[in-house]
Amino acid sequence: MSSSPTETIVDIVLPAMGTSISEGTVIEWHKQVGDPVAIDEVICEISTDKVDTDCPSPVAGVVTEILVAVGQTVDVGTIIARVATGDGPTLSAPPDAPAPAIEEPAATNGHTSGASNGRSQRYSPVVQRMSEVHGVDLADVPGTGRGGRVTKRDVLAYLKQAPTESALHSDSPYIADEPAVAASTPPAAAPDDRGGHLQPLSRMRQAIGAAMRNSLQTAATCHTVVECDFTRVEKRRRDLGVTALPLVARAVIDVLRSDFPALNATLDGTTLTRYDRVHLGIAVSLGDEGLIVPVIHDAQDLSPDGLSARIKDLATRARAKQLAPDEVQGATFTITNPGRSGAVIATPIINVPQVAILDLEAVVRRPVVVTDGDGNEMIAIRSMVNLVLGWDHRAIDGVYAAEFLTAVRRQLESVS
Amino acid sequence: MAERTYLQAISDGLRQEMRRDERVFVMGEDIGAFGGAFKVTDGLLAEFGAARVRDVPIAEAGIIGTAVGTAIAGLRPICEMQFADFISCGFDQLVNVAGKMHYRLGLAVPMVVRLPSGGGFSGGPFHSQNPEAWFMHAPGLKVVAPSTPEDAKGLLAAAVRDPNPVVFLEHKHLYRRVKGAVPEGDHTTEMRARVARVGSDLTVVAYGAMVHAALDAAEQVDASIEVVDLRSLVPLDEEAILASVRKTSKVLVVDEANRTCAAGAQVAALIADRAFEDLDGPVRRVAAPDVPIPFSPPLEQAILPSSQSIREAMDELLAY
Repeated sequence: MSSSPTETIVDIVLPAMGTSISEGTVIEWHKQVGDPVAIDEVICEISTDKVDTDCPSPVAGVVTEILVAVGQTVDVGTIIARVATGDGPTLSAPPDAPAPAIEEPAATNGHTSGASNGRSQRYSPVVQRMSEVHGVDLADVPGTGRGGRVTKRDVLAYLKQAPTESALHSDSPYIADEPAVAASTPPAAAPDDRGGHLQPLSRMRQAIGAAMRNSLQTAATCHTVVECDFTRVEKRRRDLGVTALPLVARAVIDVLRSDFPALNATLDGTTLTRYDRVHLGIAVSLGDEGLIVPVIHDAQDLSPDGLSARIKDLATRARAKQLAPDEVQGATFTITNPGRSGAVIATPIINVPQVAILDLEAVVRRPVVVTDGDGNEMIAIRSMVNLVLGWDHRAIDGVYAAEFLTAVRRQLESVS
Repeated sequence: MAERTYLQAISDGLRQEMRRDERVFVMGEDIGAFGGAFKVTDGLLAEFGAARVRDVPIAEAGIIGTAVGTAIAGLRPICEMQFADFISCGFDQLVNVAGKMHYRLGLAVPMVVRLPSGGGFSGGPFHSQNPEAWFMHAPGLKVVAPSTPEDAKGLLAAAVRDPNPVVFLEHKHLYRRVKGAVPEGDHTTEMRARVARVGSDLTVVAYGAMVHAALDAAEQVDASIEVVDLRSLVPLDEEAILASVRKTSKVLVVDEANRTCAAGAQVAALIADRAFEDLDGPVRRVAAPDVPIPFSPPLEQAILPSSQSIREAMDELLAY
């Protein structure tokens, strides 16, 4: 490749995405050789174990080389591309021609042009709602609003032309007139004999599947359930203005640290590692897309209020795909909370190498036998919940699991 | 259907109600022999006599107070404020006495106060105001503001027949400028909004004279504009507003009144509260700035919302 005397070639390296991340896979190039790129504009997308992240260009210029192919995994620090900076875009200049005296390229600083991928990532309420209802990835929708904003009309237009899958198995004699539509349709969308539509699993689904299978093949998974009277928790959480989850998390942390260290642990082959501190994983559903388990590191230092704030923050950023790789690693215990969707019992799979996962189910009003101060029994309406513990029989036994759940239950029933 | 001006339609409405119900009577300053400052009541004295067309002293508190008393006693008074601006002198009688009567004593106060309102003719700060928001904020009062001759007659009749005190805003600028078909004979209009123009890209919410400015502006842009004419500010037709917003997802709210706490502020708050997930852009407002209406013609034109300023706001929202 050629370069003019005034240009500088800058190496773009795979960025360090967190202290525990040593490698990443390029999953998409947003720029090709010859494309201009603005400073901080996304040049490619990088995938690590669970988190996908954007790789911004550290300089403005023109992409001159792409050194890592899509799908290739390389170490942090590896040069993945090169960008020519200088007095202007030089690639279009013929080889060995003197560098043309071009002024600062317009619109590369600050606001990026609407046509580029650097367009506004903020969406209006109606656009977000439509994207959820129709399952549209807004990144695919060309925006025509101010600064490339995706407007409601853009989504409507996209939805109108979107169902390209049906074009392939349409009996229309005019199908040949629409080669563009057919060509842009992924071949995987061809129907099978029963009229189904093939849909390749997303990377996230594949990753979840592999991790869950690995857990079931590795751990000796058992489940234990206790019923817990949540009436006080419900009152307390209303007073605090939080969900029940942070209160449960706080109780679990206390119980783990005081009496059940073997559950705040990881098991690697024949070695159990116990932890003094609690790094708490919280499962966050991403809807149909999958789920992710961000980690609250050093959760023991946080009050219920603090836990609530962290959970909200992590969940929000998880759904916006803004988690750093470090934030989904290193959990020592996990809580999952499918009860919000109405389930009363489930058999959660342990997130190995952790040894246990606590499942908080739906709170339901039930008639239960209660005893008053004088020992009289009666039936009362109470808010009840099932606490399900998925645990690894390699690490502990059933009595230990039951005692742990009972301790958590006692703590929650005496919340005030 | 007869072609009537906005002013003639109000006049017709008064006649219709006075003929229909002998409890109905009008009172105001110079409304009898002189026919009113704008001639809305011209001819009423001859037809209905001095007992039902009463000239009164220049004392708005007295006019409104008398109306409250006669309404409780079983009559159906219609008072004319010579200019809407002067109602501030009768504020207490209307807001504290008339508006709260039902809540305090369970008594209906079926009265109408007509307010010739609005600017645009160099009337200066005392003869150009749009005071509707004051009364929207006072519980117990209804507030209506027609934009067409048909609705002027129909809403006036509805106001007279309503058991509550109703503030009837008639825009002076429309008096002789706006003409339209008005149903002859008995005609009332429900206190609900109407869609003055059907569109799909942007909703403009307006009332009174601003409906015409909005319709004018809508003609000038290359987009499908829906114009919602509120007609009634209290009760506010929330469902009509929300239905339009859900359709278009972009809203411009126009007030001729001063911006702060105007009727449009209430509309904008409603949309933010109940149509948030349908919005595809900010809720924009066009209104007069928070200053008295200047006498100087160019200054007045500069601060009143116009089809020009509405069009600019439309363009901006459409491009958003």
